[in-house]
Amino acid sequence: MSVRIIPRLEIKGPTLVKGVHLEGLRVLGSPEEFARFYYEQGADELLYVDVVASLYQRNSLLEMIERTSREIFIPLAVGGGLRSIDDIRAGLRAGADKVSINTAAIRNPQLIRDAATRFGSSTIVVSIEAKQRPDGSYEAYVDAGRERTGVEVLGWAQKVAELGAGEIIITSIDREGTGRGFDLELTRRVSELVPIPVIASGGAGRITDVIEVLTAGKADAVALSSLLHYQYLALARPNGSGLESGPPMASTKGYHSSSRILPASLPELKRHLEDAGLECRVAPVGAVRE
Amino acid sequence: MPEELEAFYGLPREVKFCRRCVISNQRPSSTVEFKNAKGVKKETIAFDDEGICAACRYVEMKEHQIDWAEREAQLIALCEQYRSKAGHYDCVVPGSGGKDSAFTAHVLKYKYGMHPLTVTWAPHIYTDIGFRNFQRWIGAGLDNVLFTPNGKLHRLLTRLAFENLMHPFQPFIVGQRHIAPKYSALYGIPLVFYGENQAEYGNNIEENFKPTMDPKFYESDGDLAQVVLGGVPAEALISQYGVSLNELQPYLPANRDKLRATGTTVHYLGYYLKWDPQECYYYAAEHTGFGVNDERTEGSYSKYSSIDDRIDPLHYYTTWIKFGIGRATYDASQEIRNRKITREEGVALVQRYDHEFIHKYFREILDYMDISEERFWEVINAGRSPHLWTSVGGEWRLRHAVWMGEATQGRGAES
Amino acid sequence: MSERGAPRAAIVDYGVGNLYSVRSACAAVGLLAEITGEKAAILAADAVIVPGMGAFGDAMDTLRRMDLIEPLREIAAAGTPLIGICLGMQLFMSESEEFGHHQGLGVIPGPVVRFATPHQRSEELKVPHVGWARIAPARAVSSWSEWPLQGIDSGEYMYFVHSYYAVPSEPEVVFSVSRYGDIGFCSSLKRGNVFACQFHPERSGPKGLQVYRNIADHITGHPPATVKTNA
Repeated sequence: MSVRIIPRLEIKGPTLVKGVHLEGLRVLGSPEEFARFYYEQGADELLYVDVVASLYQRNSLLEMIERTSREIFIPLAVGGGLRSIDDIRAGLRAGADKVSINTAAIRNPQLIRDAATRFGSSTIVVSIEAKQRPDGSYEAYVDAGRERTGVEVLGWAQKVAELGAGEIIITSIDREGTGRGFDLELTRRVSELVPIPVIASGGAGRITDVIEVLTAGKADAVALSSLLHYQYLALARPNGSGLESGPPMASTKGYHSSSRILPASLPELKRHLEDAGLECRVAPVGAVRE
Repeated sequence: MPEELEAFYGLPREVKFCRRCVISNQRPSSTVEFKNAKGVKKETIAFDDEGICAACRYVEMKEHQIDWAEREAQLIALCEQYRSKAGHYDCVVPGSGGKDSAFTAHVLKYKYGMHPLTVTWAPHIYTDIGFRNFQRWIGAGLDNVLFTPNGKLHRLLTRLAFENLMHPFQPFIVGQRHIAPKYSALYGIPLVFYGENQAEYGNNIEENFKPTMDPKFYESDGDLAQVVLGGVPAEALISQYGVSLNELQPYLPANRDKLRATGTTVHYLGYYLKWDPQECYYYAAEHTGFGVNDERTEGSYSKYSSIDDRIDPLHYYTTWIKFGIGRATYDASQEIRNRKITREEGVALVQRYDHEFIHKYFREILDYMDISEERFWEVINAGRSPHLWTSVGGEWRLRHAVWMGEATQGRGAES
Repeated sequence: MSERGAPRAAIVDYGVGNLYSVRSACAAVGLLAEITGEKAAILAADAVIVPGMGAFGDAMDTLRRMDLIEPLREIAAAGTPLIGICLGMQLFMSESEEFGHHQGLGVIPGPVVRFATPHQRSEELKVPHVGWARIAPARAVSSWSEWPLQGIDSGEYMYFVHSYYAVPSEPEVVFSVSRYGDIGFCSSLKRGNVFACQFHPERSGPKGLQVYRNIADHITGHPPATVKTNA
């Protein structure tokens, strides 16, 4: 059984962004440029998330999905701002293979069942943004970690699976973007609870974190952003050239990741996964763009 | 039609919105807060012929005209000049442990090799996240003096400032602005570092080209007659409100002679380093363990800005009432300028959040000021300037908003 | 592309499914493909692709409503290349146990069965099976020399998303096998003009595209693609 590594591209308007705790979104570049790179590097799937769609009540990813799905031949999941069956259909028609829903599912859980019935369970991924409460339990958030819901995460995950979701992507808001490692406890508890695949997201700072969440955390797949993005930036923009607002303060170079994040490339990561005894698809060496 | 409507606070009668960000020309510039009295005409942000605000113009200069490498070299030279080699503190950094002061103090110590003493003027009422961030800041390797003013007086002054000026944060700002220069004189540490210059947000643009703060903001010759707190002259606070001179000390400006003897100068780190609030956040999250709020702040979309004080939401609510500028407008304008979001996004955010009422801490805010809800609304509604607000069927509405659209906006302003 | 005037594939549109990624893959290898639910257009095509995602029973109901069941059987019998992908493959089978009992197109004899759910098994298997799995030639086949898998190495990874799999009753139609956990299953089948795969070649990277290129070459009568793998 192979594990999946899924680059997670958070998108705002035409740009790729990345935050910490889903906040303070840095503009990193063109999502499509990163997507092509990850495809060539052997990504197993791609996840596009319009991180501000709910904030702006809009859904502007369609054209980008169309372009991407024409030139990238791995599964593309799309999330952010999908509120209805019509929105989901539009995303799939544009070329997405799966959709990920959060805010709309919490507001109307029946949407999961309707969408799963209409488009097939495996098309419907439910995204859960979890934040730990002081008592140790987890609460689900919506609007990219900005609004609390009062919904308890484990109960919600179970319900999501019962309603027919094909996968769950679980994001720890507390860890997201920090490089402090995944919330293993959260991931393991969700993964053991539901019969469907669970994608862990939020917190990867180094390769060993990824290995841990796939073993101790029992995740079936991992979504990564900072870890991969900063590797690509270091490669493609060593001097911060081409960045939206030039090099940041107190730095003569481009954006660097936090010192807690040791960026890695997909091939490097997969080599380590294999060494750790985890099966994964290793892309053909020198895989070419078609 | 707007020409006939009265404009409170000396605000411009014609409401305009910057064509680049979402700020309006109603935004007041920083004032000498300890002289801020009722009826003082406010200086407001300048708009140029192209309808662009001074803050946006300054960001343009930050991007294209300023040689930041040269500025950093100046910073290194300044640090060289003041750095203590004898084990003393060599700079005072005021702050709360929020993202900006966390960056300032930490980068000065750990990148530029200084020995800062951080000083904090306590929030009215700490939020949990605010106190935790404060603790983490200190825990990240910095010395700190936490000054907490007399709660009874601070509550009184806050209420008076709310009732008289609809500016409940005035006493806080006064105390906060004076404290670093005072500790500079007290401990004999001449160099004081603030973060960014408030002029970056729209004071007279030339202020940005001076590395230091004008001493008028924090010093005086000790003449009590010049000091006004909560809209009440200091002498009247003593004679009518039973406040003692000793109790007023924390709010009084620093003594000019003592500052001269110490050689106190207040520098803006933002003069030397290209300031970007979001990058401060990244730095603080990484180096001082700064954490964001559990949920977005009421009245805006952000989770990381101005989160340490439970009374803080009231401040932005009053700016929305007085100037039509709510918290989302401040946040979005800054983010548009720093190219984090587009203007279109900013407009949408303002429309969605600017008007949001401050439910979360509302009861605590009333209790803190010891006023009733009726009195609260009385003050709020009396503070609505007719050129900004209109009552439609008993419901208050802004006459102008950035999201109302350029067309109607333009017509309204020109007719 | 083709000298003999543009052979054309029909991608059968029956309401749901990954039609668009299939079309993108066809476009990427220069195969003209039209998404259509029209009987006439489907019957006239040089190749017919039945993609699919979703529920077996609903899909059959839709095909019946669109009057496409007989045409698809005719195409299978007539020798026109007929390609089924994922649910499309399952629909070619005679029956399925998905949400009750349903009749399939019956082009290939055999049922469609579900992966046992975790509580029925000792080893925990998440269902649906989502991810990449190796494909290997079935026992009856030593290596792939026939379209559309020529040039694909044994052990190549392909992308799967499914909860059910086909169990052909004639072992000789099994073209490739794969494993999910400890379950071995038929991941593609071939009988003459009929090819069907449980994986999604259009989402399986460069190697998946090669499957499409092989299909295109087969339709246009071009030589096998083994020599121009990384063109």
